[in-house]
This record gives sequence, structure tokens and C-alpha cells, in this order.
Amino acid sequence: MTASLGRMWALALNTFREAARIRVLYGILVLVVGANLFAVLLGEMSQHAEARVARDVGLAGISLFGSLTAIFLGVFLLYSEIQRRTIHAIVSKPIERWEFVVGKYLGMALILSVLVALFAVAMLALLAFQGIAISQAVAQAVLLAWMEVLTVAAIAVFFSSFSTPFLSGIFALALFALGRLTPDILAASESSKSTWVRATTRIALEIVPDLHLFGISGRSVDGAPVSVHGDFVSWGYVLTSCGYALAWIGGLLLIASLIFRRRDFV
Amino acid sequence: MSDEPPVIEVADLQKTYRTPFRRRKVVALRGINVLVRRGEIFGFLGPNGAGKTTTIRILMGLIAATGGTAKIFGETVPSRAARQRLGFLPEQPYFYDYLTVGELCDLAGRLFGVDAATRKRRADELIARVGLDRARTQNLKKFSKGMMQRAGLAQALMNDPDLVVLDEPMSGLDPIGRKEVRDLILELRERGKTVFFSSHILTDVEAISDRVAIVARGQVRAVGAPHELVGHTQLGVDVSLRLPEADPDAAAKSLAGDLDASAVRRADRQLTLALAGDADVDALLARGRELGARVLAVTPRFETLEDLFLRRIAEVDDPATTTPASAPRAEAAS
Repeated sequence: MTASLGRMWALALNTFREAARIRVLYGILVLVVGANLFAVLLGEMSQHAEARVARDVGLAGISLFGSLTAIFLGVFLLYSEIQRRTIHAIVSKPIERWEFVVGKYLGMALILSVLVALFAVAMLALLAFQGIAISQAVAQAVLLAWMEVLTVAAIAVFFSSFSTPFLSGIFALALFALGRLTPDILAASESSKSTWVRATTRIALEIVPDLHLFGISGRSVDGAPVSVHGDFVSWGYVLTSCGYALAWIGGLLLIASLIFRRRDFV
Repeated sequence: MSDEPPVIEVADLQKTYRTPFRRRKVVALRGINVLVRRGEIFGFLGPNGAGKTTTIRILMGLIAATGGTAKIFGETVPSRAARQRLGFLPEQPYFYDYLTVGELCDLAGRLFGVDAATRKRRADELIARVGLDRARTQNLKKFSKGMMQRAGLAQALMNDPDLVVLDEPMSGLDPIGRKEVRDLILELRERGKTVFFSSHILTDVEAISDRVAIVARGQVRAVGAPHELVGHTQLGVDVSLRLPEADPDAAAKSLAGDLDASAVRRADRQLTLALAGDADVDALLARGRELGARVLAVTPRFETLEDLFLRRIAEVDDPATTTPASAPRAEAAS
């Protein structure tokens, strides 16, 4: 077990190192900081809603840019190893295919975590600069956004295990959108007269990660409205959501590993 | 007779690919049989597309066979336990080009589960051994093809493997680099390692291999020690003569007689004739003496590995003469 962890950690560190060289990531970081600065400007123009705007834009930036970065990195994660044939020298070592998939994912999760942390620091620094108190709700929202990013990364890796980056990107984006809009799609389908449409939509949404759970601010939990600007979710909700994310990540990586196990590297 | 299993045992190995859209069958291996014993250098020889790399990739667990069996150290591949004991240099190796050679070796060592102190020591030794000491601080991105090959050799040996599998290890190397790789392979054998390598550079294979297998169109066409394979068939005799000072052209013309132009080589007054196996050498020498020529050398010409290789490949193109090598059990007895 320790040896297996050691191999995965070696791959994770190498993946982290590789991803840290991608210049686009630094561009995204600048974009997120810019969005936060823009939020400050918007806040100044609003009628006493500086804190609301800053928090909303900051958290949306973490969720959206974090998820898009996860898709961008994830769809190339396995594909580029096969295309560049770097996988030949790795898989011929005493490493199982699932260790390779998990190790690569962990490396990507590491770089995404650093990015989310930097996005959050940028947001919190600007909140502090504006004299806005940093509430527990913000910390909880950042934690949920981080889980969302890691889940989206697993979705992208899953598609990368059998598809090209272009198709994987389309599939992952589609799943991201579906997951984010789950309650809205469900509500729309429930208004349909066709029982077939309602049933199919319910089943289809069951096999899509419910990503809206991670961006719950402005929606309701157990009938009660929740907002990062006021009454937010409990720690129990956060922990349950983290468990939900980890279950999806585990499941997706398991299927990706099973697919990857059967692949020929020519 | 030891009960130890062969290091590599491949029996009736088959691989058929299917093209992505039309699902057309492409047969890469048609039943490869190979048996490699402990401590030997085994050369896997064949033209491009013969099935060498496909066989190696199956052994390394990179692709799955569609038929037959392949075992390393008695373990059916893909086997993590077997891979723990082997080192592999892929054909035209691609590594993470942002790493230095030291970092590449360290990564390989970590994947083999080698502890940090041993990784450092082995990496230092191997980098020096493959002659990359002066390029230690450079990223692999800046490496030439030959340097990349050397880096690949270093990472392949990080676990001090019992079996070293090298796919075209001399490819892209200059003559000095090729000699260094040959020396390294011989050194590995001296240390009790088994080396299985593929190549299409015949001289390299002939010079260092204990046994070779010639592969063509997905089948082994000949297997054995190079001297066993090529040493018994006398193809002819090469006769070298010093032509007389007076009218050497006439003497050369007379001695060459009806010989094909390709069998006659002349450099100033030195004439070399490649005679067929059944040629009357005594009569030629007598005629030479009559013409005032001096005999420099009479050398029997045996079949070389290149001759055998070309003959076997030519036979593949003529199905009537195609004779795949015997089954692995028979090879084991050879």
C-alpha cells in the first residue's frame, strides 16, 4: 500500500510540475484577479452593495474559472501522455494502470487546489481591502467551489480516458452545464405533460453529478433559502457535499481506470 | 538442468489491430515464438514492420496480445512483479522534456520504489556511465537524439534490473555512441543480467548477441547463435592477386573470364575475384601464375548474418519457401 502511494505521489508531483509550466494558467490567474478588481469597481457603483458584489463575483470566479481550468487540464491529462508516448516509459515500470490514472489526477488536483487557493486569496485580499468582514459563509462557499472544481476535473479525466481532447471538452462542458442547472432542468421537465419526458429527465439527471449543490447560494436547502450574504448552509451540509464530491470523483476515476486498463499504447 | 523458468518465454504470440473506422484487420504478429535464457544477450532482428516493437510492447504490458502467451520470469504478462525486475528503453524514447536527466532517473527510481539514497547514488553512477555528466543541468528538451537515447538507458537501469529490454538502442547514435552501448550491453551480461534488444543494425547484433532471432512479417524465421546460423554455409572463395607489371589489364581480363562484374574488384594492380562455391580455384591460381600474377590471399567466404537476414526476408516474399522457425519447446532444446 505504501509502495503504491509512493508511485502515485511520484506521478502526482511530476504532473503538478508539468501543469505548473502551462502559461495559460497564469493568464487565467490574472483574469481572476482582474475580475475581482472589476467587482470592486462594480461595488463602488452600486448602492451599498459592495460586499455583495465582491463576494458574488469572487466566488463565481473561483467556480467558473476553476471548473474551466479543470476541463482544460483534464481533457489533455491522459491523451497527451499517449500522443507524446511518454506513457511508454512509465507504464512499463511496475505501476498499475489505475495508479497511473489516480496519480495523474492527484497531480492535477494539486495544481487546481493551488489555483483555487490563489483565487480565494485574491478575493479575500480585496474583501479585506474594502473593509468587508470575511464570514464563515465565504469560507464554506470556497470549500464547496473547490469540491466542484475537483469533481469537474474528474469528469474531464473520465472522458480523457477514451476520447480526444476536443470531444472530451465538449462532453465535460455539457456535463458541467447539466450539473449546474439540475434543479432548473428538473423543474422545466416537471412542467411537461409527457410522463416519458419527465421520467427520462429524472433518470438522465441521476447519472450526472449534481454540481448545483456546490453553488447553493441564492437557492434553498430543505425549503429554506440560503445565501452567502446571510444565512448560509451548515457544516453538516458542507461535509455531506464533500462526501458527495469524493464519491463522484472515486466513481469516475474507477471507470476511467477500467477503460484505461484495456487500452493499447501503440 | 535448472528448474528456473526462462527469462522470456513467448509462444505463438499473435496481435491483430483493427483500423479505427473501417475496422479493417491488420495482422502484426502471426505466432511469434521466442525463448530467452538467463544471462544471455538476445538480439531480435528484423526489418521495419516485422513485429519486433509489437512483441516488445506486449512484453512490457503496453498492448495486449490477441493470441498466444508471453511470460517474463515465468509470470504471464502484463505482470507488475515481472516489470519490477526489468528495465526498458522504448524505441525513439520520449520523456518529459522539462526534466533533467537526474530528475528523469529520480522519477524512474521512485516508480521502482527505490529509496532516496540509492536513487541518488545510482543516478550519479548511471549518468556518468552513459556519458551525460556534462549535460546534467540541461533539460531533456535540449538533448540531441543520441543524448536522449543515453538518458533512456540510464533511467532503464535505475532498478538494477535482472532483465534489460532495449528497443532499437543504437538508433540515432554515432559510431562512438553505438560502441558505448555495445560495451554497456556486454558489461550488463558480465554482471549476470539478461539483455533482450531489437535492432536492424546487423553488425551490432552479430557482434554482441549470444543468440538472435530473425523476424519478418510477424513470425520468427530463424533463431540461434549467430555462428550457428551463418557459420556452416560456404558461399564461395575470394581470391586476391597482384597483377603483373607488364600489361595488367590483359591479365585481369583473362583471369576474370566470364565472372559477373559485381564479382570483380580491382584497385590498381590488385585484383579480387569472388568465386562461386563450386569454382575451380586451383585452375584459376595456375592461370594466374602463368600470367605472372602473385597470389595475395585465398579466403573462403561464409554466409554472414546479413546474407542470412536478406535470404530469410526474401523467402518471406516468396511464400513457397517460407519456413517459420520451430516452436518454443524445440528452441529451448537448441
